Amino acid sequence: MPGVDAERRAQWLRGVLDLAVLALLARGESYGYELSQALKASGLGTVQGGTLYPVLLRLQRAGLVNAHWREGASGPARKYYRISAAGSEALRAAATDWTAFAGSVGAILREVPKP
Amino acid sequence: MNHDAWLAALAGELRRHGVGPDLTGHVVAEAATHLRDSGESPLRVFGQPEAYARAVADSLGGPDLRPPPRQPGPVRLEARGISKRYRRQRVLDRVDLTVRAGQIAAVVGANGSGKSTFLRVCAGLVSPDAGTVRVHGTLGYCPQEGGTTEFLDPDEHFVLVGAGRELSRADARRAGRAHATALDWRPSAGTQARHLSGGTRQKLNLVLARLGEPDVLLLDEPYQGFDRGTYLDFWHEVWRWRDAGKAIVVVTHLLNQLDRVDIVLDLTSAREPVA
Repeated sequence: MPGVDAERRAQWLRGVLDLAVLALLARGESYGYELSQALKASGLGTVQGGTLYPVLLRLQRAGLVNAHWREGASGPARKYYRISAAGSEALRAAATDWTAFAGSVGAILREVPKP
Repeated sequence: MNHDAWLAALAGELRRHGVGPDLTGHVVAEAATHLRDSGESPLRVFGQPEAYARAVADSLGGPDLRPPPRQPGPVRLEARGISKRYRRQRVLDRVDLTVRAGQIAAVVGANGSGKSTFLRVCAGLVSPDAGTVRVHGTLGYCPQEGGTTEFLDPDEHFVLVGAGRELSRADARRAGRAHATALDWRPSAGTQARHLSGGTRQKLNLVLARLGEPDVLLLDEPYQGFDRGTYLDFWHEVWRWRDAGKAIVVVTHLLNQLDRVDIVLDLTSAREPVA
């Protein structure tokens, strides 16, 4: 049932997309399209703009990232996002939580007998 | 749906969802950049404009709490049934436009759809074949080109145009320089207009249109030759003028600004303004 799998993956992603975006921004400032490419390269699949930009807005609203418009060397002005001090702090805490959570889920799932 | 139509629809939906004009501009510009980068269709990347606007509004966590826009004031410009032909070519066909104090109207349309002609009719520089224009108050006009005098420097322009609007020499110079600063331009004394770049000459035009604080400002694509930063400065200035109660008409061919205005007059298809 590939449909169910895709739906489950989408649900997982919804839960962690903001953290994944924060973590990518912890590497350095970036803009929307570049972030969507980086998410894909990280194996999280295609995150469309319709999903990504509202997450960025929410992060910006929460003060976890700062944004500013800057003209590219070529091409149009882009809105660049940069992780804030509060964002780095939140990311550290969430990363610890996530590792514990994923570890617990992993431990239970490992008990499932292999076929 | 092509990109511009989708972006225009998005701007409308964002406004409908209570997203303020500044943020709307940013969201639309960001989407436009993304579409250019990805080369994909807007429906694929963002979905329907309504759904994306709702997602954006939701992510803001509530309605925009800034004070609502001011009520528009009295009617400043009234154009009724304006028609104009050049030889056998019908350029304007019964065009109506009413702009009140505190409103921005954008005049859009394809090349040759009569945008500049309409503005020149409003400015009283061209007489229409039919129709009337009423201006309630003083008028400033910024032409698309020309409007400056080759052998005068910026200060001399300020003084000359200011004199026509009953400004003293010192006041005209002071006002001109202040308006120039808002456009990130420091006019240097002695530089004749013919030695200014195209973009700077447009800044000069824009400053001249504003001298004496006219009630109605008619701007014919005044940002040609502006870099991106000055272009944004220009729009921030226009919003400030609107908030100061000016009635502004801007001719433009760029659709991504339509979210920033109160009235759109499209001379391509519909002849009626859409509020």
